[in-house]
Amino acid sequence: MRRIPWSVLFALLLGMGMGLAYTWILYPHPNTDAQPSALRADFKDQYRSLIAASYAGTGNLPRAQARLSVVGDASPIDALNAQAQRMRAGPQTFEHADQVAALASALGAETSGGAFPTPSLEIAIAAGNTFTPTSPSSLTDLPILDSETPEFLETQAIVMETQPAAQESMPRATPTPTLAPGKPFTLMGQENLCDPNLPDGLLQVMVLNRSRRQLAGVEIVITWNAGKEQFFTGLKPELGNGYADYLMTPDTTYTVQLARGSDVALGITAPTCQSPDGATFLGSIKLTFQQP
Amino acid sequence: MNSTRSLWVFIVLALLAGIGVGIAYGWYVDPVDYFDTTPDTLRADYKADYVLMTAEAYQVEKDPGLAARRLAIFGTKSSSAIAAEGLAYGRLHGFSDTEIAIMQELVTALQAWSGIQ
Repeated sequence: MRRIPWSVLFALLLGMGMGLAYTWILYPHPNTDAQPSALRADFKDQYRSLIAASYAGTGNLPRAQARLSVVGDASPIDALNAQAQRMRAGPQTFEHADQVAALASALGAETSGGAFPTPSLEIAIAAGNTFTPTSPSSLTDLPILDSETPEFLETQAIVMETQPAAQESMPRATPTPTLAPGKPFTLMGQENLCDPNLPDGLLQVMVLNRSRRQLAGVEIVITWNAGKEQFFTGLKPELGNGYADYLMTPDTTYTVQLARGSDVALGITAPTCQSPDGATFLGSIKLTFQQP
Repeated sequence: MNSTRSLWVFIVLALLAGIGVGIAYGWYVDPVDYFDTTPDTLRADYKADYVLMTAEAYQVEKDPGLAARRLAIFGTKSSSAIAAEGLAYGRLHGFSDTEIAIMQELVTALQAWSGIQ
């Protein structure tokens, strides 16, 4: 019976160990084919931001979906919303944060309403897992604005009304505090709230699109006889993406409207309420704006 | 004497074979997984798509400085060179005429912009 060549086996294992140490520790295979999902978090933010900027330019939602699918977010809408919040809190301009929020809103509207034509969506989904920008099926076949069907363009018009940043290929209109013709948002509700649990004089504003979906990043302009301020929806996501609030001063009358154009809520004053024990306190007002 | 020598030959051969197997396994079968990478490690098609996205945004923004900042994340090359690489990739890999045109416009704008800087 032949003896097992232990020394040869040991040399083989030693060699394998040396080879693995070389490739795993000393000289790993150069990383030149990474996917966006492997990017560091801040670079992923830049990648998403650019996807949103590109979407703002082309209005091509299926392509934006395909591009987002390779970033590796469990929920692209949540990731975009969270990034928009971070951008608003950081040094980035609101315009770019608005682009990110607009893409999130468009994706949300698309998933809730299915407004886009099915074939384009199928392309986006098909491209989702195996997205290769060189592949004709993933990029060159996806419709860009010039070749979109009238049906698709009509849908784009809805998205544009929802978020001005998501527009076709023309210079975007900068939101201005003037009342835009056509009043894209209507004041649907104004109610006084006497809830002692709420802060005194709290003005609550809720902004909804036509499908009653909350809109983040909408600028609200509040004016009174001595000044004017702006605040934005979506800064308290725990209360809703379309929620914003402002603390009113007693005995001051305010005017509230959306910067991108809306009905004007006139004569807004914190109501005086009475608690069950007879004490008085400043109540709250809730305004609801919605696209008609 | 002879058997001892042949044993050493086998040991050396086994060591070399083991190194070869280890390298092949570590590079091709189970290579190191990278995470938290930088954009310069992206696959070429993703880099080209990044340039295309920058070009699409540039169509609206018309801000070469902003486009250059976006492309600067790829490293030390000039933004126009990065855009030109994306354009070359797009030409070779069947990007549409519209996409090629806007990437070309971006390259031209960045070259002019970098000349001004």
